[in-house]
Amino acid sequence: MPAAKPSTREAFVELARAELDGRDPETLITQTPEGIALRALYSAEDLQGIQHLDASSGQYPFRRGHRATMYTSRPWTIRQYAGFSTAEESNAFYKRALAAGQRGLSVAFDLATHRGYDSDHPRVSGDVGKAGVAIDSVEDMKRLFDGIPLGSTSVSMTMNGAVLPILASYIVTAEEQGVPPARLSGTIQNDILKEFMVRNTFIYPPAPSMRIVADIIEYATLHMPRYNSISISGYHMQEAGATLDLELGFTLADGLEYIRAALARGLNIDQFAPRLSFFFATGMNFFMEIAKLRAARALWAELVRERFAPADTRSLELRTHCQTSGVSLTAQDPLNNVVRTTVEALSAVLGGTQSLHTNAYDEALALPSERSARIARNTQLILQHEAGLAQVVDPWGGSYFMEALTQELSDRARAVITEVEAAGGMARAIEQGLPKRRIEEAATRRQARIDRGVDVIVGVNAFHAPEEPALELRAVDGRAVLQAQRQRLQELREKRAAGAVESALAVLREHARSGAGNLLEAAVSAMRARATVGEVSAALADVFGRYEGRVHTVQGVYGSYYEGDAAWAALRARVATLRTVLGRNPRLLMAKLGQDGHDRGAKVVASALADLGFDVDLGPMFQTPAEVARQAVDNDVHLVGISTQAGAHVTLVPELIQELAKLGAADVRVVCGGIIPSADEPALFAAGVSLVFGPAAKLPEMAAKLLALLEHSNEAE
Amino acid sequence: MTVASELAHAVCSGDRRALAKAITLAESTRPSERELVEQIFASIGQRAAPSFRVGVTGVPGAGKSTLIDVLGCRAIAAGSRVAVLAVDPSSRQSGGSILGDKTRMTRLSAEPNAFIRPSPTSGVLGGTAGRTQEAISLCEAAGYDLIFVETVGVGQSEERVATMVDCVLLVLLAGAGDEVSSMKRGVLEVADLVAFNKADGDRVAAADADAASLRASFSISRGAVPPVIVLSALADTGVAQLLGDLTRFGAAARADGSLELRRSAQRREWFDSALEEGLHELFTQRPDLALARAAAADSVAKGSVSASEAARRLLAQLVPARS
Repeated sequence: MPAAKPSTREAFVELARAELDGRDPETLITQTPEGIALRALYSAEDLQGIQHLDASSGQYPFRRGHRATMYTSRPWTIRQYAGFSTAEESNAFYKRALAAGQRGLSVAFDLATHRGYDSDHPRVSGDVGKAGVAIDSVEDMKRLFDGIPLGSTSVSMTMNGAVLPILASYIVTAEEQGVPPARLSGTIQNDILKEFMVRNTFIYPPAPSMRIVADIIEYATLHMPRYNSISISGYHMQEAGATLDLELGFTLADGLEYIRAALARGLNIDQFAPRLSFFFATGMNFFMEIAKLRAARALWAELVRERFAPADTRSLELRTHCQTSGVSLTAQDPLNNVVRTTVEALSAVLGGTQSLHTNAYDEALALPSERSARIARNTQLILQHEAGLAQVVDPWGGSYFMEALTQELSDRARAVITEVEAAGGMARAIEQGLPKRRIEEAATRRQARIDRGVDVIVGVNAFHAPEEPALELRAVDGRAVLQAQRQRLQELREKRAAGAVESALAVLREHARSGAGNLLEAAVSAMRARATVGEVSAALADVFGRYEGRVHTVQGVYGSYYEGDAAWAALRARVATLRTVLGRNPRLLMAKLGQDGHDRGAKVVASALADLGFDVDLGPMFQTPAEVARQAVDNDVHLVGISTQAGAHVTLVPELIQELAKLGAADVRVVCGGIIPSADEPALFAAGVSLVFGPAAKLPEMAAKLLALLEHSNEAE
Repeated sequence: MTVASELAHAVCSGDRRALAKAITLAESTRPSERELVEQIFASIGQRAAPSFRVGVTGVPGAGKSTLIDVLGCRAIAAGSRVAVLAVDPSSRQSGGSILGDKTRMTRLSAEPNAFIRPSPTSGVLGGTAGRTQEAISLCEAAGYDLIFVETVGVGQSEERVATMVDCVLLVLLAGAGDEVSSMKRGVLEVADLVAFNKADGDRVAAADADAASLRASFSISRGAVPPVIVLSALADTGVAQLLGDLTRFGAAARADGSLELRRSAQRREWFDSALEEGLHELFTQRPDLALARAAAADSVAKGSVSASEAARRLLAQLVPARS
């Protein structure tokens, strides 16, 4: 009998061994952060056991696309996320973008608005107009959409915390343009679960927050048939450091929780499930990102069918928006970011996204300038019109590698979902801190891999540019915006009928208290009567209370990447020396000022410094300068580290230094890190800041500078 | 005025920065600062105003910090000044730690009448109790009359906190019945009050059942049953009752003299442990004694002399036996 023909896999191993001069072909296997072992060559054997491989696009489980014709009949929507300063300035920006080929709008609000504070609230003085547009009332919303017909322009709004007054303002603005809710198309993010996990722009505790989500789904189901009542988001998880299996698993687990909340409201699955939409990040992990979108569609269809058995197949279809990754952008040699964004956009498109935002190359430094925003938009126009990407449905279908990767990622995500469901669903899992912990571990590992050069980032930890190009960055004058918003709030409060506002707010409070009635409906009445975003949020907080964030951290993960590293050991030795001189560990308070809830950076740095031997106090989120100063004094720290991502440092850090001086603690050194344009540095140094670290500062270098600062000030004593 | 008396004066007049600095000195591992601390205590003297010290212990995740946050705010509303000394776990590898207590006590940390100080547990192990005790005394000197000492529920911390406070509050997780039955007996024995936390939503019934079974087991093992309260710090239910029970416990202990008896026994224990620590230090720090100790240890290891005999001879070097 002739010997059986060797399989492709066996043949490859044989050939590879010869090419590698005897090195084991096993060494070609790459371990991904998800824990997937990538082989050098995939073949037909890798497709064994994968189901529905022959299903068409538009057919269950929709791996190849939720609609049969996909981009061949309608290309993806170019939807750029933008907003800054006042409503007028953002409005002018939107009009220019629409004229230049953008298809839909996507509004970025400032952090004061996200957290439900009016611009004149004392807690938000540093945040107004900074990371998005400041909206305090229907009047601002009308300015934002002035001359933009809401009946024919789809509008996406990233809002979760103050979702009721913001969505209500949008509905009232449309109403006053003569457009009824039934004609509105677009998306409200309304995804509070991931806020508790990573993004932190919540206002109320989890239970009432979930009720708000369900009320919005209910209202939209009854009155806004063309509107996506939620955008279930994995984006911020990946940005916070989640690997792609975690991003996918946690996002779909959130989706299941929202379905249950809506069912509990008495809605039928087929009434609302077709209007659920999703939002994923696409980072630099090119193949895995394509696989993720394909896996997302199939896994969602499977899960919804297994658990809720809808009659309408549209309830099984996962439609998604994608955005290229913000954390993959670098401050160094920033034009490289155009290339990164292009690659990331490619994977979103090849994965079959319904709409896409491409980041601007200068976003690691500031809000996009006119020029960088244009190139970001053009990136998609070029892919759509010049590269022919919209001509074929799911070009990766049938690839041994892509189909196997899709299945493997799907299996891993399913395991994550099973774990969450076993914990009692996502709301319970969040209470137990499960997802947060998993994401933070992954984030710390990622940072350590970059700092050690295991992951190469061009221009950051390898292949440095000989000199950094000078860029023109957009700067927002927060004080001017604040001034303008204060003035408008005052005018609004003088002109409106105070009695009508009061009674509308009373109804809102009553709905909140009794659990009866729809909160969005009540918010629409209140905003129509010209209540402010802050007033509506405060009325609800009277009943629900304001939720304070939890901070979880991991220890030992960062340091474990440096075991046996001489430079790391030298840093540890310096900390030990300092310890004998100081009589205790060097102690640093890591604090967040203002309404910026991005805490990944702060926690990774805290974790690494603790691994080196620092004692690191973590302050609560959303603090005022006076509160941080008091914590620094009470804990008697040597250093205060301010982590800043949203521009508030310009105002708040100098205030912090004054507050420290007031308490007799001028000797406590203040250092800043995060997204700090170099143009801000002189003012920070002039105010007394000791060190400023950019977004790509490596942790060991950061630690060395902190130690030098402490060693020096101790000699001076 | 000396540095020490100036600092002591500032602490007593309620200066937060001075209090924070004094606690740092008390926690310092530098011998020169030890002297300064002794001088500070000498100028502070005895503080007459009554204070109540509550140790809060329980498994990680039971919600101790959140409970102290709500409890502390209520106590302040009722006229108290509240200090919280939190002892966190320490990474054994390098001696660094992450202290996140304030993130779980947001409301209390914003109160002007509250002082929250997390302390790393790194450094001398046996000395932790002494240092915490000094921090308690400094807070009392600064006018804080309700002192919480929060520990993490690992190793010996429950028993250790019992030697520092007037009352031990054990916080348990509602609806985790198995956890209670498997808990070390020692932990339950030192508890003066037990609170089942997170009894909200669908966990209320389970918490009530846990509380009932714990009361039953107490009545067998201890005779007198300590108060067992079912509450939710998050929903702020049952917390007022707990504060009432704590206040009553304090008043009764003060009235019947048991508080003073307990403190007096504790002072005796601190003296004993300070003496042991001092002896240990002598035999590790003073060069001649350290050498003698190392030599003796080697002989014991070789088996050429018995352990007890070697120890007796070594101690005799320190204090010649009277013959």
